[in-house]
Amino acid sequence: MSDFTWGNSTSEGAAWPKRIVAWLVRHPPAFTLILIVLVSVIVGAISPEFWQISNIFDMARASVVTGMFGLGFLMILAAGGIDMSFTAIAALVMYWITTAVAAYMPSMPMPLILLMAAAGGTLLGVCNGLLVHYLRAPALIVTIGTQYVIRGFLLTFIGTELFVNVPTSIESFGKYELWQVETDSGSIAVLPAYVLVLVVAAIVTWWILNRTLMGRAIFAIGGNSSIAERLGYDLRKVHVFIFAYAGLLAGVAGMLHVSSNRLANPFDLSGSELGVIAAVVLGGARITGGSGTVIGTILGVILVTLVNNVLILAGIPSSWQTFVVGCFIILAGTVFASRERT
Amino acid sequence: MAILNKLALGALMLGTAFGTSSTFAADQTITTVVKLAGETWFTRMEQGVKEYGEKTEGVAATQVGPGKADAAQQERLIEDLIAKKVDAIAVVPFDPPMLEGVLKRAMDRGIKVMTHEANNLKNTMVDMEAFDNAAFGAHFNDQLAKCMGEKGTWTSFVGSLGSLTHVQWADASAANAEAKYPGMKLVSPKNESFNDANTAYNKTKELLKKYPDLKGIEGGSAVDPIGIGRAIEEAGLTGKICVYGIGMPKDTSRWLQSGAVTGISLWDPKDAGFVMNKIAKMLIDGQEFKDGMDLGVPGYTNMQLKQGPGKGIILTGQAWIDVNKDNLDKYDF
Repeated sequence: MSDFTWGNSTSEGAAWPKRIVAWLVRHPPAFTLILIVLVSVIVGAISPEFWQISNIFDMARASVVTGMFGLGFLMILAAGGIDMSFTAIAALVMYWITTAVAAYMPSMPMPLILLMAAAGGTLLGVCNGLLVHYLRAPALIVTIGTQYVIRGFLLTFIGTELFVNVPTSIESFGKYELWQVETDSGSIAVLPAYVLVLVVAAIVTWWILNRTLMGRAIFAIGGNSSIAERLGYDLRKVHVFIFAYAGLLAGVAGMLHVSSNRLANPFDLSGSELGVIAAVVLGGARITGGSGTVIGTILGVILVTLVNNVLILAGIPSSWQTFVVGCFIILAGTVFASRERT
Repeated sequence: MAILNKLALGALMLGTAFGTSSTFAADQTITTVVKLAGETWFTRMEQGVKEYGEKTEGVAATQVGPGKADAAQQERLIEDLIAKKVDAIAVVPFDPPMLEGVLKRAMDRGIKVMTHEANNLKNTMVDMEAFDNAAFGAHFNDQLAKCMGEKGTWTSFVGSLGSLTHVQWADASAANAEAKYPGMKLVSPKNESFNDANTAYNKTKELLKKYPDLKGIEGGSAVDPIGIGRAIEEAGLTGKICVYGIGMPKDTSRWLQSGAVTGISLWDPKDAGFVMNKIAKMLIDGQEFKDGMDLGVPGYTNMQLKQGPGKGIILTGQAWIDVNKDNLDKYDF
């Protein structure tokens, strides 16, 4: 893959294929986009049912929770950290708030509920950030620990049962429609309004990373934390901020999950963190930190969602599906790695 | 519902108080040990346990369970019961192999041991299964076939390909359709929902795209019908696609009422609790178990007797119940 003749492809007067490669190296998200197009073309060729407006709606809907997680993870990764606890945060926040609202204030309006979820997630994220900072232990191990603690707390003290009596405000929020179309086969496809939450989150994340001092500090610390510290960046502030922000997004994501699912299951979302990490890395962020873009992350999330939601369309038997997803991730990951060696 | 819960809780507290105090009065004590105390399923089972105790002269029947679904805690509870020297214990093991040692100790002390949902357990005298998994799978398929008019495209879900019982149901369904309904075409079988209603929802939408003529879906995990039902309702296909699966009446009630889910099947934990205690009492009395025997509860009238993996036997009933829009109000769990 890392053909050495491409090594100096940025030199003047290179032939056009080399220039394209060079451009791709500098713009990793474009590469993700190419993969998305490739997967779409292949699946579309196998199964013409792929080309439906309802499919775009379904992808958008299925991307929301992964996308929220991905944006939070991107923020932490950009600063050179890693987070394994976001699904646990989302599960605790969604289950606790949903059952509490149903029990004590079933008529609470959705904006307030979302605010509570954001606050709850932020609080847990701050704990993560403080632990990572003061324990001076790798963020990976700390957040694996907090993941267990949070999940254990949820299942021991809050509940283990499926909760279906979701308050009306939460439920109707998930039902707001942005757009509705009727398909050829007579069924209805709906684009839910809550996809806008992801759009807002993406814009805010982009703004923080690219237009604020905090964003500059995050990338500086992600590049080299000891140099960044000597340059006067406040490590503690950045650590707490990135984990708090990821926690906030996770809390809101959990609430969106309940709202679209119309039930709260404390066992939901666990195990989805690896897909999120794959999405962020396939979106061009380096797993070692210090890089990554919002547009890349969103494209990575779309790519992973796409691959996960076309396996039946492509006619792959159930027992082969995880195998195929695994192979795809290895393949895409290899191509991305070769990009870094060129 | 809240009132019912409170009633159940009150009854539970009363029951425990009663159980311990009447230990001295009653000749025989049977204690049922469940996986998790307070869970809807086992709260319902306790109703059956208590009903047996009330109906049977000279028996104090109580139910206990750990506060957390944890094999070690369940083991400790059984240790306590051995120390108390109860006459019989009826266990729904959380993880059957984990209890082999403690159940052997119980039997060595002369305590009668019966189990439920543990046909791989060696140290038990009788293991009771509500039904045979293959028969249950075929039953799903017969219902689906009837709803679909015995023709059309159908598919099945499982919690995961590693969930043994789910796969047994799905395979038995497929075999049943192939043998009995030539007009039915199975497509993309055994989709994994990973016990997540949202995944079942996403996959149902994809299946509807791939197979616009889909007429039937079977769910394997208890949350599958919920996700499938939501996808169907949202696509405006309620009533056009038959959906059957395992599920809990209360959790699935909304989808059953709207018709997005045609029916669910399950076994009633109350009946299971009653029968478990009846078997325990028979063990205490030294009665003999026979193939085809009648335990006096619907679904348990023709018990199939089979040798278990250890010295004990396995008794299997046909105790599934079918819940749909019309009889939903009879089940408060």
